[in-house]
Amino acid sequence: MTVTAAPEAALGVLPRADGSAKYSYAGYTVTASVNGPIEAQRRDEHPYEAHVDVIVRPAAGVGATRERHLESILQSSLTQIILVKNFPRSLIQIVLQVEDTPENDYVNTKLVQASLDFAIMPALFQTAVLALLSAGVPMRATATATAVALVSQDGSKTSVVDPSPRDVEIAQSVHVLAFTSQDELLLAESEGDFTVKEWDEVYETAKQVCCRPVPTKEGMEMVLDDEHTSGPDLRHFLRSTMEQKVASDLHWK
Amino acid sequence: MTTERPLVLPGDTIPPHLIPSSTTKPLRLGPGLRHLPPSDIIPVVAGQLITNHQKNSMWVEYNNNRYLPTPGDLIIAQIHRSGPDFYYCSLSPYTPHATLPHLSFESATKKTRPQLQPGSIVYARVVLANKHMDPEVECVSQSTGKSDGLGELKGGMVFDVSLQFARRLLMAKSREEGKVEVLEALGAEGLAFEIAVGRNGRVWVGGEDPKAVVVVGRALKETDEGRLGVEEQRKLVRRLVKGMK
Repeated sequence: MTVTAAPEAALGVLPRADGSAKYSYAGYTVTASVNGPIEAQRRDEHPYEAHVDVIVRPAAGVGATRERHLESILQSSLTQIILVKNFPRSLIQIVLQVEDTPENDYVNTKLVQASLDFAIMPALFQTAVLALLSAGVPMRATATATAVALVSQDGSKTSVVDPSPRDVEIAQSVHVLAFTSQDELLLAESEGDFTVKEWDEVYETAKQVCCRPVPTKEGMEMVLDDEHTSGPDLRHFLRSTMEQKVASDLHWK
Repeated sequence: MTTERPLVLPGDTIPPHLIPSSTTKPLRLGPGLRHLPPSDIIPVVAGQLITNHQKNSMWVEYNNNRYLPTPGDLIIAQIHRSGPDFYYCSLSPYTPHATLPHLSFESATKKTRPQLQPGSIVYARVVLANKHMDPEVECVSQSTGKSDGLGELKGGMVFDVSLQFARRLLMAKSREEGKVEVLEALGAEGLAFEIAVGRNGRVWVGGEDPKAVVVVGRALKETDEGRLGVEEQRKLVRRLVKGMK
């Protein structure tokens, strides 16, 4: 079960924040706001670099241990791409509000409760990157993220990009990988049983989704003919979203 | 000036033919670019890359909402409190206060210095902006000792605009290059007002008639938020002035 709809994003949706983005893909909708660099609280102050504060709010209820875990993963990977050394003693605050998560058709849940899992990580990560770009926070590179689940079917394992909740439920392992725009691995988190060989396959699959070369004018037809690639072209999506934002900002040029 | 103005994202490689190569002048990098020794120039924000071959300079044109102090910028600051030697004033919300020395005013001495109350607005210039220190501003020119129009702004109202709109208003040829004609159009309609534009996204409007002040402020805000072109700005001004009478 792969998701066919293309990702959608809107930038600057919150007028009061320094930067904001709304991103929806694979059934997830996340809104992010970025404020910064602002004055850090005394306990968060670092003499040589900015403190990146990530807050994940679930669609319903209040965040708990799971959200804290996702926050810590996001915090450490975003710190790598933001130029934190440019803003010592300050704070860059990123708030991620989950608005919608895909429903699991196989489980009848009347009770809406906060249960975030790994499959939401790419959406959170992508929204945070878009909001940082919209805020104009200096960054080393942009980044794209994807989730891959290994599902065993008829004795053999198949990898599912952007897994649905059902896929996550029956999967042997779920992996989240992020790559910077220089094709460097930025984030690799895994959950479940898998071998090194399987991880290598997951790595190749994720790299194909995240690091597709930006099509040049001459290479356009070649990219369209590429049939074995799966998932959306995230890097191209990021660029075209920013293109729209910059064009509307610089309408007077 | 080249006509090619590509979009750049953080970490992109800039095509070598876009980097100006003058042998006589040093290359000047403006906002949004980072130099990685020995020879890499990398954008750090998303925007339009602009190169000027005559001045041998390049920068990234972009819009954001958070003001980062840069030496030489004219800003509108609000006094927060007074210390023994400095006024502490805020340039943008939730950032550390900038210092304004008590003696950085025209012909100020220990005994005769302007008494500014918390909440008053000053037009000032950034003298010191360093990532490890709080910024310092002044209301006097260090070389001539004159105020050059800087100092306390009495009466009037302050309006918040985007940083990019403030930059456009401050352009030497704001009508030709920045495509803002709203102020000229308001003046042509016979409104009398004073205006001070701060790079930190604040515009102070003063005048005898409070109605005119509000109309000018609204015209500026709507031009900024509605992203109006020159013709639309003229229309807006006509509509606002008609509503005023």
